[in-house]
Amino acid sequence: MGAPGLAFDGILGAALLWTAWQAIHAAGLFRAVVSFMVFGLLMALAWVRLEAPDIALAEAAIGAGITGALLLSALGRLDWEAGRATDECLRGRDRAFWVPTGLLLLAGLGGAAWLLPAPGLGEPVAAELGRSGVENPVTAVLLNFRAWDTLLEIAILLLGVVALWSLGPTPWPSSPELVSPALPMLGRVLFPAFVLVSAYLLWRGSHAPGGAFPAGAVMGAGGVLMLMAGARPWLSGDVHGPWRWALALGMVAMLGVAFAVMTGGHGFFEYPVELAGRLILLLELAAGLSIALLLFALYLGGEPPADWETRRPA
Amino acid sequence: MTDLFPLLMILLMLNIVVGLMRVLRGPTAADRMLAAEMFATSAIAIALLLAVLTQREALVDLALVFALLSALAVVTFVNRAWSGRVRSSDGEDRP
Repeated sequence: MGAPGLAFDGILGAALLWTAWQAIHAAGLFRAVVSFMVFGLLMALAWVRLEAPDIALAEAAIGAGITGALLLSALGRLDWEAGRATDECLRGRDRAFWVPTGLLLLAGLGGAAWLLPAPGLGEPVAAELGRSGVENPVTAVLLNFRAWDTLLEIAILLLGVVALWSLGPTPWPSSPELVSPALPMLGRVLFPAFVLVSAYLLWRGSHAPGGAFPAGAVMGAGGVLMLMAGARPWLSGDVHGPWRWALALGMVAMLGVAFAVMTGGHGFFEYPVELAGRLILLLELAAGLSIALLLFALYLGGEPPADWETRRPA
Repeated sequence: MTDLFPLLMILLMLNIVVGLMRVLRGPTAADRMLAAEMFATSAIAIALLLAVLTQREALVDLALVFALLSALAVVTFVNRAWSGRVRSSDGEDRP
């Protein structure tokens, strides 16, 4: 795109820096949250300009979308006083520690980026893509070549929910005190679109940018929307209920597949070539569903009661 | 026609930069939220223009995700304000 492209990137970069600064240093928490949401939006555009549409999708769904809603609702539960108590800047002593530490970290990252092998791993991935079972190199890396990393990512989400549930019951009322009359209508109109787009992203993952993480985030966002619209969540903290299994589904499925292929004489996560495509689809489905539920559970902010009607503790 | 697209993208990006002033100055929380929604609309337009320019279909999906999730953000905000639980966090920010 030449000069116009450069001008666009320049403005985008400056706006990114400004919103990042605002998100950290804004005087009020609400302003910081809005700045963070705008930062996520601009970051997604920056990933597009860097020709990484996969990361742009994940950033748009998780960074700009569901995290923004999470922060906004967390803000609603804070005291007004707590919101004001954030004005204090870094004190001199803290600054003397953090500024050199930050610069050191930046220099280390710069050095690491400088020392990266020049052509990268793109060519080996492209060479092995035919045996991976999918056509999209990113999905091949995420769920075949480096499936172990994805397993750990899902484990971290699961760990987050376990930690959150251990903090106590959810502060969420069984239904909002007063649901805006527009919201149930909006929920009914929009929720099918969330489900459809989520399924579409999951299906696209095998041959184009998409996959379990954006699909799960969109689905989780749809659940949050219905919760706002006054729907009663079906997710319960019942010890013997199916939901704990559903939350663990992604991890259980990945570990199950990893060990199942070992019984066939393959290595850990080494899929048989003729089955790879189907196994990856199965794992995407399990992981997507599980990620949607995990993000929704994170939004609830605590262990849901075993029974929402009576709010009997789990 | 597509020759104009890069210029339109810059125009939309400048639109966002001007809107950032509204996020900075407020004065109410609703002003800031509306500015953020305007950015989401501009970002959708930029993504769609880039989709045509670079022939990447994935960017249309990105615009779709932007559109759905910006609706979620505004619903979260309205829900807070409506149920009367908004004790706005900025002192000057009471909606």
